[in-house]
Amino acid sequence: MKGFDPVQLATPLFIITIIMEIVLARLGKVKANYETKDTAVSLGMGLFSSVAGLLTAGVAAAAAIWAWQYRVFDIPMTAIWAWVALFLLEDLTYYWFHRLSHERRFWWAAHVNHHTSQHYNLSTALRQTWTGGLAGTWALWLPLALLGFPPAMIAIQKGISLVYQYWIHTEAIRRMPVWFEAVFNTPSHHRVHHARNPRYLDSNYAGILIVWDKLFGTFQPELDEEPCRYGIVRNLSTFNILRVAFHEWIGMAADVVRHPRHALGYVFGRPGWSHDGSRDTSATLKAAWVKGRQEDGSGR
Amino acid sequence: MAAVAGLVGLAAWVGIARPGGPLDVERVRAILAVEFPGRMLDAVWVATDGSGALARSGGMALVLCPIGDGFAARQIPWAQAVSSSFRNGQLRIDLADIAAPVATIALPSWPPKDLAA
Repeated sequence: MKGFDPVQLATPLFIITIIMEIVLARLGKVKANYETKDTAVSLGMGLFSSVAGLLTAGVAAAAAIWAWQYRVFDIPMTAIWAWVALFLLEDLTYYWFHRLSHERRFWWAAHVNHHTSQHYNLSTALRQTWTGGLAGTWALWLPLALLGFPPAMIAIQKGISLVYQYWIHTEAIRRMPVWFEAVFNTPSHHRVHHARNPRYLDSNYAGILIVWDKLFGTFQPELDEEPCRYGIVRNLSTFNILRVAFHEWIGMAADVVRHPRHALGYVFGRPGWSHDGSRDTSATLKAAWVKGRQEDGSGR
Repeated sequence: MAAVAGLVGLAAWVGIARPGGPLDVERVRAILAVEFPGRMLDAVWVATDGSGALARSGGMALVLCPIGDGFAARQIPWAQAVSSSFRNGQLRIDLADIAAPVATIALPSWPPKDLAA
């Protein structure tokens, strides 16, 4: 399995399916919107994220190999049970990585660009981070190597997860069969994750299995009465790819310089946290939304 | 790189962005009601070319910047909006935000005399 890279193998599939989604949308067969500059940014982010990833891949791989030297068990790469176990444990790791990436500003700074599109189509899936490696989230997978899973095996499973998550970035598929929606992450569940409606914020962090969200209390189903509005709470007003990639890092640095006494809060607090409470977090937005509904008398 | 260019070209050629069209007061009010729920609008100014808008809500100015087929909304102190530079029919508002640095809105005049204070 040396050199087996699911993402590289799937790249032709990415291209073909984006073409299909565009053509079918043009023919009115499926729901999809593609804005030219938005598409260019998504694909450009994807293209350069693989370059940026190479810069830190060596460090991440070296760390995994180092950790594996001290493994608790010898887990064979050829055993089916090992792959099943890794599938579950890697997906659980992804859930917490993803939750951390939304709930703490330092890691949100690396992840936010994936959410900056106001569209939700297959190209959005490729709007990947340039700074994820620098943010160090790869360290979250080191316990798997310490447990005894070979680093190559972990890398393959991470690739499989990434490829799985590609196809769920679409409005073309409304709902999957009920049993599938109950167990797996789907386009419907992930649309909610990308929505900026207060009701939908900070939910559905799953990679492949949606059961983690149900287990940890972050599951939110897509509701027909509340269509998803995509993007971030405060959308970008520019298609400048450098701003897309680095705006939150720069904003965070500026806050630290302006308020050094509150640096920890601005770096490791929730996105939107401020020392004087002048900004909105997901929690305050949700609270305001709930209050508004109660005042409208529309609370259900 | 070629694949990216090809896909972007295809997206441009087929033209399946969200249908939009120029803004009007009603649409601006609807968008701002979503962006800033519960806020009362004292007055609304829509750009003469229908791209972008500005509203006063108490001591704040609510700014709507077009971006592709969508919008970005920001709020700034009203006094800051009033003192923004206005030249050749273009109001240029510094939003002091790395993610939305400047809003440029075409207006017949600025600031409004009756609401300038």
